[in-house]
Amino acid sequence: MNRPIRQLAGAVFASFAVLVAAVTYHQVIVGPEYRDDPRNVRVATSQAGRERGTIITADGVVVAESEADPDDPQVFRRSYPEGSLYGHTVGYTTLLFGSKGVESTNSDDLVSYRDATISGVLGALVGGDVRPRGLRLTIEHELQAVAHEALGNQRGAVVALDPATGAILAMVSTPDFDPNTLTGLDAGPTGTALEDDTSQPLLNRATAASYAPGSTFKVITTAAALEAGVASAGTPFPNPVELELPGSTATISNFDGQACGPGTEVPLSVAFTRSCNTVFGMLGMEVGAEQLVGTAESFGFNAEVPLEIPSIPATIPAAETFEFDVPGVAQTAIGQRDVLATPLQMAMTAAAVANGGEIMVPYLVQEVFNSEGVVEESTEPLLWLQATSPAAATALSGLMENVVTSGTGRRASVPGIRIGGKTGTAEVPGGAPHAWFAGFGPVDAGPEDPQIAIAVLVESGGDAGEAATGGTVAAPIAQLVFAEFFGVGQE
Amino acid sequence: MTRNAEAALLAAAAVVAAMGVALVNFAMGRGFDAQVALTFLVFAVSFGSIHMALRRWAPEGNPYLFPIAAFLTAIGFTEIYRLDPGLASIQRWSMLLAGGITTAVLLLLKDEGVVMLRRYRYLFLAGAVLLLLLPLLPESWPLHGAEVNGSRLWVRLELPVGTRSLSFQPGEVAKVLLVIFLASYLADRHLAMATTGRKLGPLRLPEPRQLGPILIAAGASFAVLVYQRDLGASLLLFALFITMVFVATGRAAYLVTGFVLVAGGGYFAYQQFDHVQRRVFAWLHPFDDFADAGYQIVQGLFALGSGSLTGSGLGLGRPDLIPAASTDFIFASVGEEMGFAGSIAVLAAYALLAAAGFGIAIRSRDVFRKFLAFGLTIVVAVQAILILAGVLRLFPVTGITLPFMSYGGSSLLANMVLVALLVRASHGERT
Repeated sequence: MNRPIRQLAGAVFASFAVLVAAVTYHQVIVGPEYRDDPRNVRVATSQAGRERGTIITADGVVVAESEADPDDPQVFRRSYPEGSLYGHTVGYTTLLFGSKGVESTNSDDLVSYRDATISGVLGALVGGDVRPRGLRLTIEHELQAVAHEALGNQRGAVVALDPATGAILAMVSTPDFDPNTLTGLDAGPTGTALEDDTSQPLLNRATAASYAPGSTFKVITTAAALEAGVASAGTPFPNPVELELPGSTATISNFDGQACGPGTEVPLSVAFTRSCNTVFGMLGMEVGAEQLVGTAESFGFNAEVPLEIPSIPATIPAAETFEFDVPGVAQTAIGQRDVLATPLQMAMTAAAVANGGEIMVPYLVQEVFNSEGVVEESTEPLLWLQATSPAAATALSGLMENVVTSGTGRRASVPGIRIGGKTGTAEVPGGAPHAWFAGFGPVDAGPEDPQIAIAVLVESGGDAGEAATGGTVAAPIAQLVFAEFFGVGQE
Repeated sequence: MTRNAEAALLAAAAVVAAMGVALVNFAMGRGFDAQVALTFLVFAVSFGSIHMALRRWAPEGNPYLFPIAAFLTAIGFTEIYRLDPGLASIQRWSMLLAGGITTAVLLLLKDEGVVMLRRYRYLFLAGAVLLLLLPLLPESWPLHGAEVNGSRLWVRLELPVGTRSLSFQPGEVAKVLLVIFLASYLADRHLAMATTGRKLGPLRLPEPRQLGPILIAAGASFAVLVYQRDLGASLLLFALFITMVFVATGRAAYLVTGFVLVAGGGYFAYQQFDHVQRRVFAWLHPFDDFADAGYQIVQGLFALGSGSLTGSGLGLGRPDLIPAASTDFIFASVGEEMGFAGSIAVLAAYALLAAAGFGIAIRSRDVFRKFLAFGLTIVVAVQAILILAGVLRLFPVTGITLPFMSYGGSSLLANMVLVALLVRASHGERT
């Protein structure tokens, strides 16, 4: 009778061996995947209630802090004193809705190591600093506030950055939300309502949404033409009322339905100032798909943006998909068809022109400082892309300055400051157009002069609706931001 | 003398539990409080009284079984305390009660040993069937059944004072009684069953006369369990019947038939019961229905994965996120806070427990003791394997407790008595 007992004992031990294999698989082999699964709230909850580092703006305004519970000094509560102003950029860290923004991407710096894990205890024993570190952002608080107020309750985004360093000076996306409401007691219903809101208040339109750039894309078309030697600022173009596109019945016309000013010919510089689609359609066809896409990509299209917080690339289809589609090339050249850009991309496009053709790596975190305020890490500016040649950048800044002094971008002008820019009114099938402005100032800045590049997007025309244009809706917003940056009283 | 080793190991288990409680207190910022001393005291009294009983009445009994049981109880208790100190304090009362009853059982068996049980087999069968029927008592009675998580396997006694009630799972005790019945029955009949029989195709089955009572007992137990929709316990009892008949007759035909019946029964249950379908779906596709059916399994896996090699540390993980963290899924809780190291220690302890139990069965010369030791061992081993396989996604979750570790007095009591019977059976096992 012992033989069957031995056989069954063998089966039982084999079962335990399988259990050991299974526990090894789940805990050791795929364990890290389970741990990092977004539905696993353990990582977030292990930090919940613990002290987190302070986040301040470049000018020292506290935008995220942890305060000890008055009843229990071991328990901390995260709060965002500026409310919705930094909801998209600084983001939040919550139990129910995960984390977002810098709070999420720079979480490793912000967490406290004062805990009972082996490394925490050892760290405390050897006198290491277990308190969380803090972050100083590149954002200027007043600039952020002005941009936020200027957008008002229109849907859209404003991105401002320092062309010379890539430091983001302001980043606003509307509609927005107050991150404090996601950490409180009624976070559940509030968060669910935000997630279900069709206006997508949780979407950071500055970096994570892309739109047809419309005429702001003409900056890149012009750069392509200058680089390829196809045209220069003075090159004359025919001046029809309507551009007939070869091989199709489609036409391209100007915004006002007229020719690009008087005369039978018009120089490229005038066409740029007036944002004439007819001329840029022709220019695009001359430049060709390959050069157009190549230049767009050297400006950052189709590339992962190395910003801290999640950003989607601006996109342009590969040249071989539309190089023989001549109308398609013409429409792409005026920023329609399948071209899509984020507001961040258009701000970097303007920054490239301001910065001699170079695009710096954009960044939001300037410094990491320890609990005593001593700076431990500092972000050094880094070149990301050589978008275009210095000569082309100089030519483009002249063209863009004309837009603001005498063209479609007049409402972005600031007295006493040389501003350059380009407006855009991107047609949206079945809806009001998106209003764009991308620009910078001052033109021809000295090495010591503070400089700023801005992109403004107002989704679906904002308050102006169907009547919106980049010049009337987006440019005035940029003007307010410029004025604040240069300390100029508003007109 | 081996009983001194047992005493030392039992003391070590009490220290493990007390240290565990102290670590939880430290992690939770509660400080060193009476819970630590109380836990040590309860372990010392509960296992100490059993140890003294063994010293007196079974000095040659296996000295390692109770230390292993005490170690598992200590690990489980620490995790229960970490999840809910209130439950832990009830569990301490259960431990005292289980220690007392186990000591009483040893006292009862002091002269004749487990052989005495052989005489009362139909009493045990009747007791087991009665216990299995208890949950069907109507709700309006003071002693009545209660349904938890779609299975009606609880009995609740409403106390005359206030709204308090006592609950227990009679199935846990019934399984021990059924082992005694089977061991006794098979000890009388195994020769007849092994040598006589009629051919049915390639299979040689025993005379229905020999097997009849067992089939009736088995059928009745399953009918009750299926009616109560406690399929984990059904499966456990089925495994017990099949393996014991296999051991008694040495015929693999029973294992094959049993396997076919389990597969058929499983398919039938899958067709008939919504909650079985839910569990099978949750087992096959836990991540697809994370919010609902798969939630428990996925949380268990998240816990294990987050625990990694050395665990989050006691009191520092989030096992409270797992549904039934202190009962069915206590293994995932331990895996999270004590890590892979803790998981392996627990698995090793169960394997050692099984090894010691099978060793007793193999060495016993008396055939009743052999069957008894085997039955007791297989029932505790299969129970552990079933629920561990559920937590580790090798099998659908069956909703039975993890012996010694899960929160619950009935389970603890039944398994302590089970181990006591094993140890008593090993006293003088060569006679």
